[in-house]
Amino acid sequence: MHDLPWQSLALNPLAAFGILLALGVLGGQIAVRVAKLPGITGYILSGLIIGPSGLKLLDQQLIDEAGLFIQLALGLALFDMGRRVDLRWLRREKALFATALLSGVITFLGLLALLTFSGFPMAPASLLAAIGIATSPVVLLELVRESRAEGQVTERLMACTGLNNLLSLTVFTLALSFTHFSAGHGVESFILLPGWLLLGSVLLGLVAGLLAIRLNVWLGGGKREAQTVLMFGLIALVVGLSAMLKLLPALAILIFGLATRNLERGYAVAEPSLSSRSSFFFVAFFVAAGAQLMPLPLAALWPSAVGFVLVRSLLAAGSWWVAARSNGLPPRHGALLGLGLLPMSGSAVMLMTMGALTLSAGAAEFSGFLLSVLCLTELLGPIVTRFALRCAQETRD
Amino acid sequence: MLEFSTSQPLTLGVELELMIVNRRDYNLTRGSDDLLHLLGRSPHGYDIKPEITQGMIEIGTAVHSDVNTMLEELLAIRALLVRTAEKLNLGLAGGGSHPFQHWSDQRIYPKERYQLVSELYGYLAKQFTVYGQHIHIGCPDGDTAVRLTHYLSRYIPHFIALSASSPFHQGVDTLFQSSRLTSVNAFPLSGSMPCVGNWDEFNDYFTGMADLGIVASMKDFYWDIRPKPEYGTVEIRICDTPLGVDTPVLLAAYAQMLARQCFEDGWDDISPAHYLTYSYNRFQACRFGYDAVLVDGVKKRQTSLLEDMLDTLNGLLPHAQALGIEAQHNALRERILQRRLDSHWLRQVYDDSGSLSEVVRRQSEFWMYEAPALSVN
Repeated sequence: MHDLPWQSLALNPLAAFGILLALGVLGGQIAVRVAKLPGITGYILSGLIIGPSGLKLLDQQLIDEAGLFIQLALGLALFDMGRRVDLRWLRREKALFATALLSGVITFLGLLALLTFSGFPMAPASLLAAIGIATSPVVLLELVRESRAEGQVTERLMACTGLNNLLSLTVFTLALSFTHFSAGHGVESFILLPGWLLLGSVLLGLVAGLLAIRLNVWLGGGKREAQTVLMFGLIALVVGLSAMLKLLPALAILIFGLATRNLERGYAVAEPSLSSRSSFFFVAFFVAAGAQLMPLPLAALWPSAVGFVLVRSLLAAGSWWVAARSNGLPPRHGALLGLGLLPMSGSAVMLMTMGALTLSAGAAEFSGFLLSVLCLTELLGPIVTRFALRCAQETRD
Repeated sequence: MLEFSTSQPLTLGVELELMIVNRRDYNLTRGSDDLLHLLGRSPHGYDIKPEITQGMIEIGTAVHSDVNTMLEELLAIRALLVRTAEKLNLGLAGGGSHPFQHWSDQRIYPKERYQLVSELYGYLAKQFTVYGQHIHIGCPDGDTAVRLTHYLSRYIPHFIALSASSPFHQGVDTLFQSSRLTSVNAFPLSGSMPCVGNWDEFNDYFTGMADLGIVASMKDFYWDIRPKPEYGTVEIRICDTPLGVDTPVLLAAYAQMLARQCFEDGWDDISPAHYLTYSYNRFQACRFGYDAVLVDGVKKRQTSLLEDMLDTLNGLLPHAQALGIEAQHNALRERILQRRLDSHWLRQVYDDSGSLSEVVRRQSEFWMYEAPALSVN
């Protein structure tokens, strides 16, 4: 006798995406209404509750199957963040460029020192410290959208996030090269592969940027809807292509956004407000991120994970506090900006996989530690960043 | 009882309300606090202050008798503002209204008066995110100020056409050359000063309104032209903020010539009949610019605004010579003969690009960097 349809129920990717969205929205609303937390925290908590570490409504396979939407969300956010990096501004406002760069370098060195002091070998320590430079573009964009924050702290926070993601990906590639070198891998592993990752991603982003500008000029500003669909398409294409070519999708998309903002006639790519039209992708992204959180490693590694997060925040807040005046900000606002950099980048998991594959030994410790840190920053980051923007009086709520 | 401070006749001052936009999509942004904070770090001595919503900033000149020195000061203020705005990656722009901002997105500036206005007028306060130029003309006494206010009301359509730069409103082409005044019209105390004959009568009117609890100060009147007793001036408030930094000086020169004509001729023809067609003529100028048709309710005839402006300018030539501002007189004449309207320029940019963001980008570049057409001195 055949099974009846309801006797062999299995979630497919679309149903998984639906669950991510529906439960995410409910969780977000509960967080906002009951606990006065940012909606993002609610989405992440929903994910944690229904994910493999909680009620197991979603397993890893289903999360992977909904990965298309999640990658697209990350792509949309990184593209938007790339557009926040205004090179004309950075050329004039060298203080911002120098502060973002120095703050990133100081964070990297501080984390590297902490990790090696805690007993990590140099290779995984450098990979972890490189990942620690970057702030999450998705969290920032969604928080700014949710709280309708506007002002210098918000603007500089965004520009700094774009820059620290670029720096993080570059340093990560170099650290990867160092890891291959330390492991005694061949030249192709420690020079050609990182070179391919870095230059290939930059090139793909630039070509996509040039193409987007040309096509938008051809479409004309009157075709706003067509422009928006085109940009969605190009972002999906760049994410897909960079995965196919085994590049760094995050870097390619960042450069893509940056190119459309800064290359000649880039204004033809009128602000498509892609991120504001993509909130359902972002909800799915955060629920999936929550579902992937693993509180167990945190239970074991919490002292060093807390140390990592504290050092990272203190160095960022300290750097920006010192540089506040040259950035035209009151020192308090500088410190708040540094604090707002807490959420860690959404592409960290992908980099973690890449890093773990390279590390012959210690891959498990490396991944476990990063998952513990992510568990902390994903839960605390949105709350701290919203607090910083509120204290700077740039939000509306 | 309002005391009218004496001031040097025909001296001038202008105030300009400017847009603060981001340089990403060129929408209005909450930038006045950041700008003022940075400007306040070193003493500059210029009059730069916040306005009702945080996407606005107001600049004002000192008192000038020579429009050339006024332009010099405006250029110096602009240089300071541009330096500061560039550090913050903000754009500044002229124009009477932002083409695509949404009024509900605007934030009231945290100042007691603006909060009170917002409480009283509700959504009108945020809709008042429009940008105008005010021109102050010095008057020796209150009676003269009342006379000049009535005299200038006849020329309100001229000022509207010369400054019209708000063709778009909330993302739509209004077909008006100046749509800004529609936002002002919504206020109950807008329009024109009542037909009082002298300063005593004005004071009676003011005291009556104050006793009824309707007004507390002259600031509560949103009239197109009003006496400003604390400054000893008459203030023309009808103009959109022009796109260029030099056009406000031309408008001030025009007001100076008209005021001199009023004073020299001893004009005193105050009559309610002149106000019969005031609102209609005002509408015509807002809607059609130079193509407006003016109705003279007293002489019962219609004239084209363009012809009326050229006739007026011809009559003002001796006053321009006496004031040493023939260059400004010529520039105004050229502007009218070429039918040059800022609103046409904005529409042209939109037709070429199809993007209102691009319109604001270009108008911001224009206000911040365009060299003045008339050189200083």
